[in-house]
Amino acid sequence: MGGKVTCTLGEVKNRADFIVYWGGNPAECHPRHFTKYTLMQKSKFLPRGRKDRTVVMVDIRETKSVKAADIFLQVRPGKDFELMTILRAMVKDQEVSDEQIAETGLTREQLTDLIARMKGARFGVMFFGMGLSMTRGKHMNSAALLTLAAEMNAFTKFVAMPMRGHGNVTGADVIMRWQTGYPFGISFNRGYPRYNPGEFSTVDVLVRGDTDCAFIIGADPGATMPQPAIDHLAKIPTIVLDPHVTHTSRLARVHITTAPAGIAAPGTGYRMDEIPMPLRPALESPYPSDEEVVRRIKEAIAAKPDWMGQQPQMLLSQI
Amino acid sequence: MLRIIGGTVYDPANGINGQVKDLFIDGGKLVASAAEGRTIDATGMVIFPGGVDVHTHVAGGSINFARAMTPEDHRRTQAFIRSQTRRSGIGGMAPTTFATGYLYAGMGWTTVNEAAVPVLSARHTHEELADIPIVDKSCLVLMANNEIMLDLLEEGEYERAKQIVAWHIWAAKAYGVKAVNPGGVAAWKWGKNASQLTDPIEGYATLTPGSIVTHLARIVAELGIPHPLHLHCNNLGVPGNISTTLETVKHLDGARAHLAHLQYHAYGGDDWDTMKSEAAQLADYFNSHPNLTTDAGAVLFGDTVTISADGPWQHLLYKLTGRKWGNLDVENETGCGIVPYTYRPSNLVNAVQWATGLELLLLIDDPWRVFLSTDHPNGACFWRYPEIIQLLMSADFRKECMAPLPTAIKNRITLPEIDREYTLYEIATIISAGPARALGLHHKGNLGEGMDADIVIYNREDDIARMFGHPRYVIKGGEIVIEEGDIRETPDGREYLVKPFYEPDTEEFLRPRFEDRYCMSFENYPVEMERIERSQIQACASPDSSDSPQ
Repeated sequence: MGGKVTCTLGEVKNRADFIVYWGGNPAECHPRHFTKYTLMQKSKFLPRGRKDRTVVMVDIRETKSVKAADIFLQVRPGKDFELMTILRAMVKDQEVSDEQIAETGLTREQLTDLIARMKGARFGVMFFGMGLSMTRGKHMNSAALLTLAAEMNAFTKFVAMPMRGHGNVTGADVIMRWQTGYPFGISFNRGYPRYNPGEFSTVDVLVRGDTDCAFIIGADPGATMPQPAIDHLAKIPTIVLDPHVTHTSRLARVHITTAPAGIAAPGTGYRMDEIPMPLRPALESPYPSDEEVVRRIKEAIAAKPDWMGQQPQMLLSQI
Repeated sequence: MLRIIGGTVYDPANGINGQVKDLFIDGGKLVASAAEGRTIDATGMVIFPGGVDVHTHVAGGSINFARAMTPEDHRRTQAFIRSQTRRSGIGGMAPTTFATGYLYAGMGWTTVNEAAVPVLSARHTHEELADIPIVDKSCLVLMANNEIMLDLLEEGEYERAKQIVAWHIWAAKAYGVKAVNPGGVAAWKWGKNASQLTDPIEGYATLTPGSIVTHLARIVAELGIPHPLHLHCNNLGVPGNISTTLETVKHLDGARAHLAHLQYHAYGGDDWDTMKSEAAQLADYFNSHPNLTTDAGAVLFGDTVTISADGPWQHLLYKLTGRKWGNLDVENETGCGIVPYTYRPSNLVNAVQWATGLELLLLIDDPWRVFLSTDHPNGACFWRYPEIIQLLMSADFRKECMAPLPTAIKNRITLPEIDREYTLYEIATIISAGPARALGLHHKGNLGEGMDADIVIYNREDDIARMFGHPRYVIKGGEIVIEEGDIRETPDGREYLVKPFYEPDTEEFLRPRFEDRYCMSFENYPVEMERIERSQIQACASPDSSDSPQ
């Protein structure tokens, strides 16, 4: 297992005649997604648009998105990994017992029909949301789905894509990767990047009380993180850059109001398929952009005397 | 101002072969004399023009995908520690941007050409290029699977197709055109490939890979782009693909082209069991066709990660290895695949590949037309170039390296019969002067007066790999960036672009076709000029290029 078989959203628009959403609710969470990229678009290859596409929704409950689907598969909560593993087996004509299938809350007929449709598609895509990636099994669920999509390429064209959100989280992920090699959960405390989600992720660092200062841009952890992490943020000097008053800015020692990106500050936003979009401000703001604030802080720090002392330039190999 | 005195200079662009010569630098350029400034006593040392990499993958969506897929390598490899002037980073199979600049400059390379950029994510590529310090950069835009252009070629609208190519080069802020597996990547969008040059491509009635090659090569020539069509042939890596490669170059109709990573296109045999090197046959053909240049795409044994716009090939590699597989299809334009890979001397196929790369470098007799590359990171990482230089300069060392190869390798390669050893002059040609000329960067790879002062000074050592891996000084644009193995300065490099002429109505023609296929506003598609840091536009040969719109 490993890797990701994916495409840009325009490929889905142009070619996908078979679309699965798993643990995601785009009708409410990505309201422009169906109309701009997937269900409603017509293309050279799918001239009748929605009529040329089959849409499957896999979820534990009947969300608003289910209304848009042709087929709804209600999986028993916490059984996504089992269901994907069964599908991976059945796709390859391996035997699966009735009891194993019954555990997932679905029937053999439903799964056989699903697999026949998957194999019969010209271009299949599987979108997955936090209902898959943030529930029991977490990254193992994502890996199972990505593997299922990769293995489907033995039969027909298939891709998978996470339904990402939260502003420009993809942009942060992309830039951290080119500068450090890692997407998130990075520690610089040895002078070079190290990665260990669960140890260096923000929430873990805060809960352990491992940080004595916090600098927060474009996020509101005070609204979403566990209480011990929030308590620690309140205890240490926390600096927030945000256009708005937020839960985090209320507990911060310093709140610098900045211009909202894309509305009053220019920049680049990375779409969930990692395509960079230019942000052109429509309004003027009396406030500086996040970029300007960070640049001025950096210049002020660079003007201070050398505090690092002599260090080796590099390590030939890490321990 | 800077003076370098007493060094033994190898400057193939000016025919200088190991003469003791003083060099003077002022304002970032080489000059006739300099009255003052620091003096470097280079007596007994070897002086080359800075290295130029004609084909590498260092920035953009695909290498960044590879970084995400290989955290296990980042954790074990070389790490760069931050200082007040240097950024931290990671080396290894897919180095981070800052580390990429330090590693290239650290072995004396001062110009790199990123070989594969989709327009759709070109904004990202340029942001990464801006984060690669020290070296100068350029990039090539992927065109051979652009469906808007393919449709026009199918319709016989050659002139329109030419305008579209020119528009896309400028939209991507690129320096030239790259063709990858013409038609094959477009077919991959349906899970297919294009393996026969004269068969119609999936989804087209008459258009063939061969005709894409013919037309694109002609378009690039007519637009006057300084670098000819940069061509990754069909059937990369496939046993018996020598026939495809030879057929492809015939489709050029005599036009100039640069054949990328030729090693991967020089195989005989019918399957993996019978695969053998056909480097000798290919080199023969190549030697008699001066319209061609190439880079070796050499393979070295060890771990790496393969990255290619050739989606179908990467799917095959995933099936062969069972390792991680990344794939990213880009709407209308191209695709990309990523699979980590380990080349093993005990593996017969890998052993043949290793020998094939070296054979091409040794059997193509004009060093001005064959250049050092590993198709980083595909054949090996760029920071291993010094090992290849050692293999080229020492037949004894090659013999030593051949000893552990499987006995079945006999009769599959010709490397054991080749005695040629590269001279320093020839090495300077294949790593600097030659690729600079092929790229049309005439102020690079040249130590003549008025040229860019990109200079490498080596201690003369018996250990060739060490000598080329650890230059004594590296000078970039007249600044000493490496001294005694330490990074001293990290200036920002330039980015080279071209602005070919296209008819003013091209945009209006393109807009509806764009809106049919893409899912963003047409206005958001081209990369804005102000996003390119330290850009430098190079002239196209076309007489019309001066009154280009925008």
